[in-house]
Amino acid sequence: MAQKGFYYDMTICIGCKACQIACKDKNDLPVGPLFRKVYTFEGGKFPRPWFYHLSVGCNHCADPRCVQNCPVGAITKRAEDGLVIQDPSLCIGCRLCTWSCPYGAPQYIEELGRSGKCNGCYELVDQGQNPPCVDACVMRALDFGDLSELRAKYGGTNDVAGLPDPGLTNPAILINPSPEARR
Amino acid sequence: WPERRQASAETEGKWVTAACWHNCGGRCLNKALVKDGMVIRQKTDDTHPDSPDYPQQRACARGRSQRQQVLGADRLKYPMKRKHWEPGGGNKELRGRDEWVRISWDEALDIVASEIKRIKEKYGNESIMAFGSEIGRTLSLYGGYVSVWGSTSYGTWLETGPRIGLSSGNHVNDRMDMRKTQLLILWGANPAWSSAGLPTYNYLQVKKAGARVITIDPLFNETARVLADEWIPIRPGTDHALALGLAHTLLVEDDPETNPLIDWDFLHRCTVGFDKDHMPPGADPKENFKDYLLGTYDGQPKDAEWASEICGVKADRIRQLAREIGGTERVSLLVSWAPARGNNLDSWPQALMALGAMSGHMGRPGSMTGVCTHSGASNNGPSLVRAGGNGLPNIANPVKLRLNHNEHWTAVLEGKYMAGKGPGVTEPVNIQMIYHAGSSALNQKPGLVRGVAAHRKVEFVVAHHYALNTSAKYADVVLPITTEWERAGTLLSGNREILIWAQHVIDPLFEAKSDMWIAVELAKRLGLNAEEVCPISEEQQLFNRLAGAQVLKEDGKTWEKLLTITAEDIAEMGVEGEPQTGRITLAEFREKGIYQVPRRPGDNYEYVHLAEFRQDPEKHPLNTTSGKLEIYCQAIADHVRNCGWSEISPIPKYNRPTEGYEDTFADWEKKIKGDYPLQLYTIHYPRRSHSVFDNVPWLREAFPQEFIMNPVDAEARGIKDGDIVKISSRHGTVIRPVYLTERIMPGVVTLGEGAWADIDDETGIDKAGATNTLNGAIPTGQGHAGWNTCNVQVERYDGPLPPDHTWPQRVIF
Repeated sequence: MAQKGFYYDMTICIGCKACQIACKDKNDLPVGPLFRKVYTFEGGKFPRPWFYHLSVGCNHCADPRCVQNCPVGAITKRAEDGLVIQDPSLCIGCRLCTWSCPYGAPQYIEELGRSGKCNGCYELVDQGQNPPCVDACVMRALDFGDLSELRAKYGGTNDVAGLPDPGLTNPAILINPSPEARR
Repeated sequence: WPERRQASAETEGKWVTAACWHNCGGRCLNKALVKDGMVIRQKTDDTHPDSPDYPQQRACARGRSQRQQVLGADRLKYPMKRKHWEPGGGNKELRGRDEWVRISWDEALDIVASEIKRIKEKYGNESIMAFGSEIGRTLSLYGGYVSVWGSTSYGTWLETGPRIGLSSGNHVNDRMDMRKTQLLILWGANPAWSSAGLPTYNYLQVKKAGARVITIDPLFNETARVLADEWIPIRPGTDHALALGLAHTLLVEDDPETNPLIDWDFLHRCTVGFDKDHMPPGADPKENFKDYLLGTYDGQPKDAEWASEICGVKADRIRQLAREIGGTERVSLLVSWAPARGNNLDSWPQALMALGAMSGHMGRPGSMTGVCTHSGASNNGPSLVRAGGNGLPNIANPVKLRLNHNEHWTAVLEGKYMAGKGPGVTEPVNIQMIYHAGSSALNQKPGLVRGVAAHRKVEFVVAHHYALNTSAKYADVVLPITTEWERAGTLLSGNREILIWAQHVIDPLFEAKSDMWIAVELAKRLGLNAEEVCPISEEQQLFNRLAGAQVLKEDGKTWEKLLTITAEDIAEMGVEGEPQTGRITLAEFREKGIYQVPRRPGDNYEYVHLAEFRQDPEKHPLNTTSGKLEIYCQAIADHVRNCGWSEISPIPKYNRPTEGYEDTFADWEKKIKGDYPLQLYTIHYPRRSHSVFDNVPWLREAFPQEFIMNPVDAEARGIKDGDIVKISSRHGTVIRPVYLTERIMPGVVTLGEGAWADIDDETGIDKAGATNTLNGAIPTGQGHAGWNTCNVQVERYDGPLPPDHTWPQRVIF
């Protein structure tokens, strides 16, 4: 099965959150839920500190816990490209997806009493477009596409400090890590 | 929501180029998907394939949030007046805390016009202080108004830069040329935050081309993280000392034969004032820069040890940096304006220029020294595409009285101001009306606490705005205005390669009107000729700018019209004009919303600043007294003296800043700290462009306006990460959540400028953390704002402070 996913170059990300906001805009989200979120990690001691960012949406895992745990089948993994997609009209708001995803990708939306998640903007992808977070990146640190093609183009790893053990769900993400994020 | 989400994924509707008109320095392309008169989604530049040479103009988080700015629940919907307002003000202390009452436009305009008339007749035009452009036309026709002057963004570059032979703004090489540099030094610059959009990406290309990158900054910032091979932490307001320490090292270590660090040829041919043999006529030969560096007459060499004590960079590191600057063939020594935004820093630009001149990094490919910031960040040189004029004639303001922004609130309160006629010469003034036309002056000028008192003293305050910003909050009458999205359209320029045609996106919301409409309606009520205020319609102004737009041909020398405009285009726009032929059609420009000049390395648009001057300074003199770069500059010394607050030397001697590092000590010699032991400097923060966007919920969520300090300073005060802290200066108090990080230099703290002040009248505490609550209005030098010199104390605050994004929006109707 083909698998689509995101590539993220951590070394050139400036943490500007244009991706996070583009996602809010596309998904028309209120304050609170973030389908894509930029995390920051830091350490070291003055005058030699380090920090890095991690921009994460849904990783469209090969073994998605959210799909396995959704009691009403609202979340499915598409056969044609492996995108993990939630149908909000089926969601009953039980939050099992939010508890089971190690990446915190599904988000509970208080105002609706339902969950939602990064669906890889499949409606736009199906029209040949990128997810808006990718085209928003001012540093060109994000890309999206067939994972094997992304791997051939950039390399990268799905195992970085700050993310859970990739063995849990086999996430479809490739990251070029900063030195401090290498595992 | 599922339905709305479905709608927002649609590609139906019309993509319209929407103005991102803000003053951040970036100028990016924003598009709005308009359906049924509403904006349902945004996107950025996709008008051509993206590449480093010909990049898309991608928007930042702020631009991407704009529909929450324009369509926010807190938009001002109707004209409002303060409930207890009465002619003359009534209980003026209620400003900022009174209830609001909705009124009609007729009533609102009648009130404003009658107060203008009453105050003019009672106190004269010199009692009306106004901020804003269109309303200035009406007030000028009605006898004039008091305006406000002073350098804000530019710091001391504004007046010092041109007099010493550089300029106030951007004056280095272009982005293609910059890729030839071997050593890129970014000094006090964080374009990742302050000019979001393209600049950091452009600098990344310089790094990829092989440059080593050093950043000099109190904070290991976002730009540094991505680009820097090395970070040199420095105390705010002490950059001048570092420059002198570097210059001293160059001087004492240079040997033209064995260790050439100084470009003597450039120094001798192109500058005046470096040594006693190259002084301008009439100058005391002893007052030369070389002898000042060596301490020949004052006994204090400005060596690395001397500089280190002030700036906090180790002496060995200063010497090493000097060797690297002097010993590298092609260096870009780039500063933002920020290091010049401090009290008494009038000589800093000259010290930097002297350093660049000594090392010869000027006027050569890949080699440059100076300001590279805001719209010129990463890319300088003349514009390659430019708009025409709007055709609107200027209206002169008959009132010549101008108040400096470090004095205008005090002038209201105390009735006097410094007249610019030399030290100590003040004159009386009686301000009784403050007119904010789309301004954020109360929030964005130094001395906010005094500013609030000033607003509660005068007889009338009026504000135009689209939301209840700080200026509007303390007004008697607020008038709702349209944003650029609701107007006829405009042309926006930014970096040298682009021209954006932002278009009408949606109709005016509620009862919002344009600033010009208000100016015209007031003119009618004041018995003026409205035709004179606005003789040209907004559509015609737009057309004039389009028809006059020009683009530089590929030869890099000749200009051609940008647009082909047909008789049908003119008829469709409903304007007057002549058909013309240009590079692209009006329809294509409208469709794309942008014209971007294609670039490639080696094209004829590459720009090397001061190249001709360097080659032949006699044939291509600078616009200075001597025609050369002035390391000795009588003109700037005279200008500062005439402003009346302080004095400087014609050569760039170090001036101790008011509320700089030295002032954190009660006893500098014994190094005993005083009551305000920490240095606060105020950064551009990604939540906002200055004060604009501070009210946008998505941005409040993304950027929480934390107070940034080092764990060492926190531990000494029993402060833990995430605590609420109280920050006090000599001028005011704010509370904020604290973010502890090893990325900031101990002894230095920082807070983003531009938060909308939220002051509790009982305690005086500003819970929003507006930096001007902490910054005093301290007039020095050329009257520039001194935002990066401020002393504070910090303690834990035991009260609650909910996160900003949970605060209710300022909805008053």
